[in-house]
Amino acid sequence: MITGMDRLIAAMSGTPCDRIPVFCFMSDQGAKELGMTLQEYYSNGEYVAEAQLKMREKYGYDNLLSLFYFGKEAELLGCKEIVFAQDGPPNVGQMILKTYDDIHKLQIPDDISSHPAFQEELKCLRILKKEAGGRYPIVAFLSASMTLPTLLMGIEKWMELLLMGPVEVRDELLTKCSEFFRKETSAYRNAGADVFVYVNPFGSTDFLPMKLIKELSLNWMEKDLQPGGTQGLVYNCSGARMNSVIEMVLERTGIGACLFSAMDDITEGKKIITGRALCGGSFNDIKLIDWSKEEIRNEVKRIIDAGRQGGKFFFGTQLMPYSIPEQNIRAMLEAAYEFGKL
Amino acid sequence: MLQKVLEEFQEAVYDTDQNRVLEIVHKAIDNGVAAEDVVFEIVIPILEKAIQSISEDDSTCLSQMFFTAQIAAAVTEEMIPLFKQAPKVVGCVVIGTSSGDFHGLGKRIVIGCLKAMMIDVIDLGLSVPPERFVDEAVANKAQLIGISSMMVHTARGENGCLKVRQILKERGLEEQIKIIVGGAPYRYDHELYKVVQADAWTENAITSSQIIKDLIKEVQK
Repeated sequence: MITGMDRLIAAMSGTPCDRIPVFCFMSDQGAKELGMTLQEYYSNGEYVAEAQLKMREKYGYDNLLSLFYFGKEAELLGCKEIVFAQDGPPNVGQMILKTYDDIHKLQIPDDISSHPAFQEELKCLRILKKEAGGRYPIVAFLSASMTLPTLLMGIEKWMELLLMGPVEVRDELLTKCSEFFRKETSAYRNAGADVFVYVNPFGSTDFLPMKLIKELSLNWMEKDLQPGGTQGLVYNCSGARMNSVIEMVLERTGIGACLFSAMDDITEGKKIITGRALCGGSFNDIKLIDWSKEEIRNEVKRIIDAGRQGGKFFFGTQLMPYSIPEQNIRAMLEAAYEFGKL
Repeated sequence: MLQKVLEEFQEAVYDTDQNRVLEIVHKAIDNGVAAEDVVFEIVIPILEKAIQSISEDDSTCLSQMFFTAQIAAAVTEEMIPLFKQAPKVVGCVVIGTSSGDFHGLGKRIVIGCLKAMMIDVIDLGLSVPPERFVDEAVANKAQLIGISSMMVHTARGENGCLKVRQILKERGLEEQIKIIVGGAPYRYDHELYKVVQADAWTENAITSSQIIKDLIKEVQK
């Protein structure tokens, strides 16, 4: 039986396989799957692992997701308040960096693996690895150093510091966030994650002008991904576009894969990349809530037609909203399996 | 001289150099440029130019919008006390993020632009209950409610725009108060504003000021 890992390896190496890999990123849906509230669901790594395995089996896609919610990164750095919703991802309820003095005092844990806030994720990763390791890639989502401050001080305050604040304070924070990124990646790697989505909207010209991308973002990407750090790494600007930066990112960091946003022009992106990296095209998850089966099929076909030329392509999603109806998830995946045949 | 100041100001805004912007403004005032001219001949034209360039191509990024709006608001606030006569206010908007949403960047950019455009803004902050949007709009005689949402569930949720619309309907206020929405989910689905029953949406915070001005005029007719 061909597994998700077989498909991923075939796509990366350009060897024959039955179809392109199909990566589906559902986290909050796990609570629905187990009939729990989101708060109850995320309280126990066993629940998350159980739902991930169950959803992969039910829908047949090629990956498992170890992400709980992005606020987990803030919890690892001291955040004590997460606001849970009934129907959407949990939010950071307490910004741990309110003043520049808080930045000076921010401590990066020495060992993330033994940190109390990491224990449920660790439990989840161990179960995923035991049950499906080596057969289905286990995917982690990690915030780049340039992006992590949004979870610690809010995007407004981060934008203020980044554009108008003291350079030495900005760099002190980025140094700490980069150290955290490297330690966090290592903790996930040791616990069994295979693929690391490097989330960096601040590495897109939708967020920052090219001047700042060149002078700042790329330098911090290099620091985050010090030699050896790009193994299994997938560049992703969250919902922001990457075509204008991808050439520089590949050249400066050596990243071997990228996941476009739904806003990116995949054809243009693949022309820029010219086979140097595995590329993923993302479905517009927000449209997936209301679109008809026909509209969903057409969009899947459009994405795969644009991306499959020249190989090294996978179909993917962003983090899918809770309210997407199950029949629409099925319609998207069935179309991806059909149009993605090789 | 005004043209030279305008060019220098524009260049400093493009470089996101706050100190240089303020230096240029202070030097202009010292050299006898009227505060009214700083706002109406420099700040507002720069904002309008930003709006035009965003409408024509999408190369302007979030940080440039943020910076432009902050600078425009800061300079305008500094200049207004120096005006010979109090400026004519265009209208009033109450603004906040939808219930359960803690992302305030877009709202802040909108507020910066509106202040520079002589529109009164009542900032209700983050995670605003629907009743409060309406109560504050009534209390402040606002023509418009602005609801910003960064997440799908807060944009579409029952305590977001849908509930604000229901309250306006129940209180017979739909002609006096319009609703505009904005934020990431609306950029991914351009029809979403209809689903949540808003009167209008805005693709980005900078261009919102023109749409808001038009809606205010519509209510004031």
